[in-house]
Parts: sequence; structure tokens; C-alpha cells
Amino acid sequence: MIAANFSTEIIYSFIIIICSLMIYFGTKELYELSYHKGIKYFRYAFLFFALAYFFRSFIKLILFYFNVQGIFLISPRVMNPLISQITLILFMYFSAMAIFYLLYSVMHKKWNTDKILFFHLISILIALFSVLSKNPFSYIGLNIILLIFIIIVVLISYKDSIKKTKTHNLYTFYVLLLFFWILNIIDILIPRFLEAFQLFIYLASSGIFLLMLYKVLKKIGN
Amino acid sequence: MTKRAKLEIIRDILDIIQKNRKIKPTPLLRQSNMSSSRFKEYFSELLEKKFLTEISYNGSKFISLTDKGQKFLEKYKTIISFIDEFEL
Repeated sequence: MIAANFSTEIIYSFIIIICSLMIYFGTKELYELSYHKGIKYFRYAFLFFALAYFFRSFIKLILFYFNVQGIFLISPRVMNPLISQITLILFMYFSAMAIFYLLYSVMHKKWNTDKILFFHLISILIALFSVLSKNPFSYIGLNIILLIFIIIVVLISYKDSIKKTKTHNLYTFYVLLLFFWILNIIDILIPRFLEAFQLFIYLASSGIFLLMLYKVLKKIGN
Repeated sequence: MTKRAKLEIIRDILDIIQKNRKIKPTPLLRQSNMSSSRFKEYFSELLEKKFLTEISYNGSKFISLTDKGQKFLEKYKTIISFIDEFEL
């Protein structure tokens, strides 16, 4: 059973990492020709998704290896707590930055000042908070606040796009991507919280990333 | 000035050079319909990013496209379509 679960994890992580890296490298030429900020942040979002998933897989590997439900439950005698804490900090930092980069790729036209440093700072604070606060409800609360913030920003942008030209289903797609990404974060931080829906979350997340890759490849003509 | 407009201006400048194969800076400025200061800004940027190259021919300075500039023109529609598709 544990081996089957672990195989599912590996396949799932592999799909997301490959899709993200294909999007990142597939759009390299477009960025190098246009130097367009939106393309730059869009690419970084997927690079950071790949990095976050790499560290997510590492956390899952540790959990499977020591057969524990939470990363803080590993005994300090079997593994140095610093390893799990640093891995979790990196996972949370790359996750938050991936979300912020995706948001910024759409919003950079409206925000005249460069907010990337601010987003790095917020991501570091989120990462530190996740490790220092060991209360599961604070993780959920934090991620819900993040999701609400993103939905509000995307809705404002969506309203503007309706005024301008056509309607874009992409906003729904972005919100779905971010929603399932946050479910993935909760799945790592509080493993039992979403246990019953895990397969559904994996299938939906893989589907969203595969669809994004398809849309990108179709556009760049590879 | 939006980024989209900036890409259009770059396309227009590169298009003029491509049509002429090589062109002197003054006719390029005239055909691009831009103010001198704005043209200089774009021109320096395009040189710096290696979209253009300056060549000397019979004692005069000419501007011509580099392979990167050529590639930009080939991929321009793809770039714009990608930016529109993903709302970037």
C-alpha cells in the first residue's frame, strides 16, 4: 500500500515537474526576443512550480521513508530536524513565489512599481511562519487569506479585460491552478486533512498543468 | 506607453531595415515617424540587445539587421499571440 502510494506520488510529481520545465524552457526564445516582463514572470512562475514540486517530493519521500504523518513528527534521533525544516522552508518559499510570479505576470501592467522584492519578502515570511507556527489551523488560515487575495486581484483584472475586449476563460483557469496548488500545500503541511480527496487533487492538478502545457505548446508552435 | 506598443514600435523599426536591407540612421529616423530623442532611445536599446548592427560601407555608416533581429520579425506574431492568450 505504502509502495503504491509512493509510486503515485512519484508519477504525479514527475508530471508536474516535466510540464513546468517544458513551459519554462519552451518559452525561453520568446522571452529572449521580446524581453517582455509578462513572459519573464510567467516563465519564472513555472520554474518555481517545478522547484516547489521537487522539494514537495523530497518531503513526501521523507514521510514515506520514516512512515510518519507530519514532517515535524520525525524523531530528532533518526534525522536532523534542520533537514526537514530547511526543506519545508524552501518548499513554502518556492510555492508562494510561484503563485506571486503567476499573479505578477498578469498584473505587472497595472502595477507601475516593481513589487517583486516585496513578494520575495512575503514569501520568506510565509515560509518562516509555516515552520515556526506548528498549528495546522494557522497554515489553513494563511493559505485561505492568500487564495482570497489572489481571487480579488484576478477578479479586478478580469473585470478590466471584459471592459476592454473579449472575455477570457484563462482567469478561471488561473484561479483553479492556484486553488489546487494551495490544496497541494495543505496536503503537505496537514497530510490527513485532505486524505480522502488526495487522488482527486492529484488528478485535477495534473490535468491543469497538462492543459497549460498544451496551450503553451500550441501557441509557440512546437 | 504599454509594452505591446513598445513591441510594435520595435517591429516597425526592424521592418524598415529589413525592407531596405541596409539603411543610414537619418532615413531610418525619418521613416520610423518618431521624435529624435525617442528614436535614439530605441536605437540604442536595439543595438545593445543585438537586434541591429552598424556597418561601414564606402565611408558611410549603415544599419542592418542581425540574425536575432530577423528572428524577432519571424516570431513577432507568435510573441503577440502568446501575450494575448495568457493575458501577460
